[in-house]
Amino acid sequence: MKVSYTELNTKYFDGKLPSPEVLADALTFHAWEIEDVEKVGNDTVLDVKVLPDKSAWALSHRGIAKDISAVLAIPLAQDPLAETPLLEPMTNDVVASVDTPTCTRYTAALIRGVKVGPSPTWLVEFLASMGQRSINNVVDVTNYVMFGIGQPIHAYDASKISKDEQGRWHMRVRAAEPGEHITSLTGEEYELTPGDALIVDGISHTPIGIAGIKGGKVAEVDGSTVDIVLESANFDPVQVRKTSQRIKLRTDASARFENGISRSMAPYGVFQGAKFIAQFCSGEVVGYIDTNPHPVVRSSVAVPLAKVNSVLGLSLIMGDVEAIVKRFGYTYEIVGDALIVTPPHERPDLVIPEDVIEEIGRIHGYEHVASVPIEPIPLREVNARFYYAEAVRDALIAEGFSEVFTSSFRNVDDVKLKNALASDKGYLRSEKGMIENMREVLSKNAPMADLFGAEQVRVFEIGTFFGSEGERLMLTLGVSSKQGFVAKKDQKVLDAALSAVASLLGALSWSGDDGIRATDIGAVIAALPRPASYTAHELSGDTAYTPFSQYPYLTRDVAFWTPLGTESREAEEVVRASAGASVARIDMFDRFEKEERISYGFRIVFQSHEKTLDGAEADAFMQSVYDALRARGWDVR
Amino acid sequence: MKPSGHMHPISRIIRDINTAFSELGFVFADGPEMESVQYNFDLLNFPKDHPARDMQDTFHVEKNGPDGELMVMRTHTSPVQVRYMQRLVKEGSEFPIRVIVPGKVFRNEATDATHEAQFYQLEGLMVDKGISVGHLKGTLEHFFARLFKGSVEVRLRPSFFPFVEPGLEVDMRLIGSDAPEKLRGRWIEIMGAGMVHPNVLRNAGIDPGVYQGFAFGMGIDRLAVMRYGVDDVRLFYNGDLRVVSQF
Repeated sequence: MKVSYTELNTKYFDGKLPSPEVLADALTFHAWEIEDVEKVGNDTVLDVKVLPDKSAWALSHRGIAKDISAVLAIPLAQDPLAETPLLEPMTNDVVASVDTPTCTRYTAALIRGVKVGPSPTWLVEFLASMGQRSINNVVDVTNYVMFGIGQPIHAYDASKISKDEQGRWHMRVRAAEPGEHITSLTGEEYELTPGDALIVDGISHTPIGIAGIKGGKVAEVDGSTVDIVLESANFDPVQVRKTSQRIKLRTDASARFENGISRSMAPYGVFQGAKFIAQFCSGEVVGYIDTNPHPVVRSSVAVPLAKVNSVLGLSLIMGDVEAIVKRFGYTYEIVGDALIVTPPHERPDLVIPEDVIEEIGRIHGYEHVASVPIEPIPLREVNARFYYAEAVRDALIAEGFSEVFTSSFRNVDDVKLKNALASDKGYLRSEKGMIENMREVLSKNAPMADLFGAEQVRVFEIGTFFGSEGERLMLTLGVSSKQGFVAKKDQKVLDAALSAVASLLGALSWSGDDGIRATDIGAVIAALPRPASYTAHELSGDTAYTPFSQYPYLTRDVAFWTPLGTESREAEEVVRASAGASVARIDMFDRFEKEERISYGFRIVFQSHEKTLDGAEADAFMQSVYDALRARGWDVR
Repeated sequence: MKPSGHMHPISRIIRDINTAFSELGFVFADGPEMESVQYNFDLLNFPKDHPARDMQDTFHVEKNGPDGELMVMRTHTSPVQVRYMQRLVKEGSEFPIRVIVPGKVFRNEATDATHEAQFYQLEGLMVDKGISVGHLKGTLEHFFARLFKGSVEVRLRPSFFPFVEPGLEVDMRLIGSDAPEKLRGRWIEIMGAGMVHPNVLRNAGIDPGVYQGFAFGMGIDRLAVMRYGVDDVRLFYNGDLRVVSQF
């Protein structure tokens, strides 16, 4: 949520706050992350990542100010929640009837004689800090109250709502009828279902608001509005969330209600809203209504000091804990070795001891937690699937196979997702899908085989597939020649790999074709003896990855005679040193001795990171290789 | 002459993870990639229809499970926490519970160089009498020092995940002259963690009045990006040997 530094500092701390940067740092380590600190006009706006468990009360300047007060140990100069508002006088001119259990409280005020007009400058600026445009003084006040204390409120133009014979307005909250429509304040039309709740004109039955989400166009406040019904209610978080998701309308109000604002907040909203409308819009508050004035009673939470220390890994004394709790201003008592906290009415998130322990831990500061070394214990069990998968990996790598991971999603397959990320990723891969994935890997890599210095592409994957029988662990292997088919020598490579796997796992039944083989190794491993310990491994070293070139490569072969005793490394070095900077790799493909000489054959792969090389350039690189070889007295063949 | 093949960088890190944790007695556990809503969310204390479920964009599977249960692609490997604890409780095993769960997870998020809809996560869990945030810190320091082969500092900040209370965000930094230069001295947000929520222990059949524990979860892909400097996580999943052949 966006928070105005100016609003916090002037309204809650009488200018005693440290700089926005210091504040952001303190909150990051003691409350929640600050995603951004940004200058907006003369203000600084903090983008506070209020965590879901604190969103019932902290999606508000007051909530955040209250927490800052605990974090920095600066008392709040003013607290709009300090006193329970008295909703007096009551009025009989507005009647509320709540006909759905999803509305747990409905309060409202009748305000007459307002003058709708522009808002005071400070309010326009505050809304700009919130990223909002000023609409008029009445609407702006309702937003100000919501951003201030976190309670959404809504103003209806009373002249646009029907009156009964006694001149009373009827505000009714009820479930929507099937197919019922409403046009929102901003003109969009929504179709509702009985799972949704509406505010309706109780006489004409016209919907005037989507409960907890957005007001309707029908009773919109505009320049001619004089009398207002100001609503501040409480709605069931689950219902608001479901409706908001179904009609795809998430508002500042729904985002707050779906986090479960305390029912006790409704009177604060209507009281503050009415007060500000009287102040900034010249209205006169006629009176209030409240359908559920019963106070919210929070159960106390007993937190043993020993538990605080054993969870956090600290050695606090009761005095430390008490000092923190005082900063929050909780009602508490100490009974024996336990702290008994009664949470404030607006905090539904303090229910179990751990909830309170978190508050103590973060305010005290996690930097004070000393790390405890972990004593090694014998390994209780070895994971057979992992053990054998690792053995298969090592065996196949020794056979020259490289491991790939392919996508778990396929275009079309057996198991369908309800909500695909993209139309070509709507299904989960089956056994067939994994084989197709392997086929794609082979055809993609075959033309690049020279880049890997390999006679053919050799790959394997160990991964999960999803079939009608559920998920299984599969091993797939694939071999392809550079040209994309499977020649006899490629088949031999594949057969050698299959027998390497079989020597680890026993006889296996393979499916697949065209150089690809697959088998359900999960089922095979389940029948194998459970290993007693893992093969010991040193931790791997750090490999620095180099981004690969996006340009095509060219290959050239060179063969030459050297005197006996010339090492292949030396021969390769002469080639490398003369071939230029565009060499991607050099591989020896041939070596034989004849008549007191050695013949070496090398394949050179040229590839640039900047451009596509043409044949003439490769020929020029080769010319300098030939020159270097001849300079050594080595005959180029 | 037979050229050697290459291990996928993620597999290489998972092997290292298992080495570093098994020496402390952490068991490598696994579980299904397609999970029931019950294990992915309910038993991990995500309230039904609560905004906390929005923290993880979820793939829902069309067909229900064998008992008619709603199925999702697991959004984290945390469900295996509960499955493993339930198994040990059923077998009547003794405490402590020490377990790691490296595995594939899924999030329905737009993909870019730092996000893939599928990636690997490492979950860790330790449950015993008197396990504290201090044990979490000690475990993570051991792990990072082993993995990054040097001196590591760990820093904790408040956070929230439904299955822990208190919830923590973990930052780490490598110090000392042998740390890679691009990482040296820089704080890196590396994982979420916390003390296992009593409801989760209860759901696994463990008395939270007697036992407590920590849990943590981190992206293995992110570790791979940090260690190797791979500039796009999508490269781990497209089967391109120009990537794998460098490892």
